Amino acid sequence: MSTRRETVRELRRTRPVDRFARRSVALIALLVAATWLFGVLDLPALARDAFVDDFATLREESARAHANVTRFLGEVRPYPLHGRPWDTAVAARWATDLFVEGIPRFDIPSGFEAAWRTLAISITAIVMAGLAATLCAFPAARTFATPEPFLPGSDRISALQRRAWRAALLVARGLLVFLRSVPEYVWAYLLIGMLGISAWPAVVALAIHNAGILGKLDAETVENLAPQPLAALRGAGATRRQVAFVGALPAALSRFLLYFFYRWETCVREATVLGMLGIVSLGYALSETRIRQRYDDMLFYILLGTVLVLVGDLVSLVARGLVRRAS
Amino acid sequence: MRAELRRPPPVGVRSAVVLSLLAAGVVSFFRLGLTWEQLVPGRDAFRQMGAFLAAAFTPALVNEAGAPPGTPPLLRQALDAAALTVVFATTALSVALVLGVGLGFLASSVWWSGERATARSPAARLFARVVAPAMLAAARTLIAVMRSIHELVWAILLLCALGLNDLAAVVAIAIPFGGTLAKVFSEMLDEAPRDSADALRGAGASRTQVFLFGLLPRALPDMAAYTLYRYECALRSSAILGFFGWRTLGYFIKQQWDVADYPEVWTYLYTLLALVLLVEWWSGQIRRRFVA
Repeated sequence: MSTRRETVRELRRTRPVDRFARRSVALIALLVAATWLFGVLDLPALARDAFVDDFATLREESARAHANVTRFLGEVRPYPLHGRPWDTAVAARWATDLFVEGIPRFDIPSGFEAAWRTLAISITAIVMAGLAATLCAFPAARTFATPEPFLPGSDRISALQRRAWRAALLVARGLLVFLRSVPEYVWAYLLIGMLGISAWPAVVALAIHNAGILGKLDAETVENLAPQPLAALRGAGATRRQVAFVGALPAALSRFLLYFFYRWETCVREATVLGMLGIVSLGYALSETRIRQRYDDMLFYILLGTVLVLVGDLVSLVARGLVRRAS
Repeated sequence: MRAELRRPPPVGVRSAVVLSLLAAGVVSFFRLGLTWEQLVPGRDAFRQMGAFLAAAFTPALVNEAGAPPGTPPLLRQALDAAALTVVFATTALSVALVLGVGLGFLASSVWWSGERATARSPAARLFARVVAPAMLAAARTLIAVMRSIHELVWAILLLCALGLNDLAAVVAIAIPFGGTLAKVFSEMLDEAPRDSADALRGAGASRTQVFLFGLLPRALPDMAAYTLYRYECALRSSAILGFFGWRTLGYFIKQQWDVADYPEVWTYLYTLLALVLLVEWWSGQIRRRFVA
């Protein structure tokens, strides 16, 4: 018995331990505790409330929250049914009207139109992002952005050439980092100021943010390709562009498409939200109904967005299955 | 043998997918009524864009001269906004992680798969045939609904129901992020190598033991890496909540953009960029150690 325990202790003592990972875990735990206690809950104020005011603030706040939630739940009931017993036929007519006609009085688009436009924004944006990312993937891949890809370099490569390619790699990667670090919502907000209200700000914002993400993922895919076929192509005299589009692209296409569809799922969600900035889509209907405090209509558009997202996820699932089986 | 030498079809599945995507892109483009001319900004907008981009090289470091007395120093404001961004992201992700682990277990097939093998009594068989699949379906539906509503939409719903309240911001991020973590965790558990689980089961371990000591450790590195990645996303979402009134980085980006103070917009943008890059570097370092 004791030898077994000793063996376990010995194993425990000699197991590999990573200092950095361990400190990181400790730091994360500390961060979570600190942000909860002092950031959101505000422990000092809570303590004062508890010991000095006998929970007066807390009680008042929770009563207010309760009243607010009760009011809100009353307001999301379809308005033809306010203060009346539930009637499915009336509710269905209300929903159908919203889906087909919207609220013409306030220029709020019909659910059908809003959903259509949301979908179109997401598709246009992701196709643009996919094309841009495919082009950016090669200069951002270490294996392509060198003076002599895939073959041992000759002596004729100057230091200047080497440095120029290094710079090109850094520029391509830096650009991708910048594009994806700024959230699409911020991009859209800035672009609306410049381009005015059309679908463009939403499309461009989604396209550049996703080009940054897809570009990074695609570049990693290209770097991880088996080098032998590409080296053979290069050795047979193919130019860099020919190696990229004849050799690397077909080999990487399946992966590119998988990433593409994953990002499209996100795009559908984001396209809904970007409408809240004033671009006609589901988000626009959502923010307009919210401003007018028509929370029942707002909930309808939110649920419609949910359906759209679920359908998008399903299409993406099927498409990814097709691609996976074909490769 | 001969069949393998057959000519491939003129258009393969992947090419067909690519072509239909391009077609869908073109159809959508025209459906939205987009024209390339709209993309060319007018002269005013062009000047504005130039001013904004030029300001990238001169982000503001101190308050402008006309700032009302009592305004805290600009960098102090930026740091406070960054701190609140971190607070929302961290607390939200900690809640999301609990939701994600709980629902992720319930939504993974392996969690329920042991039932069928060990079902002997009628009650156990009923559980395996009816209750387990029902629970699995319920968990997956719940996850799909949580995920399919964007965090900003959750934020609006909670704003309408609760008003501007820190907890509302946390919950708004935590719900969709919890759903996404749960979905990915359940997939990782289902795809994790089964060798150690089989060995433990063969040695007579109970179902819980097999799950906790055979399966979970094999999926854990990937789960941790993915959680770190989601933390980066949570930071961005938390920053954007500022557009709805919480005083995170987005609040000040919007405020300064609206008064066309571009150097200050860049100050906050760079703060956000620095924050995201710092976390990206850090999680990259950890990921390198976890995932071989």
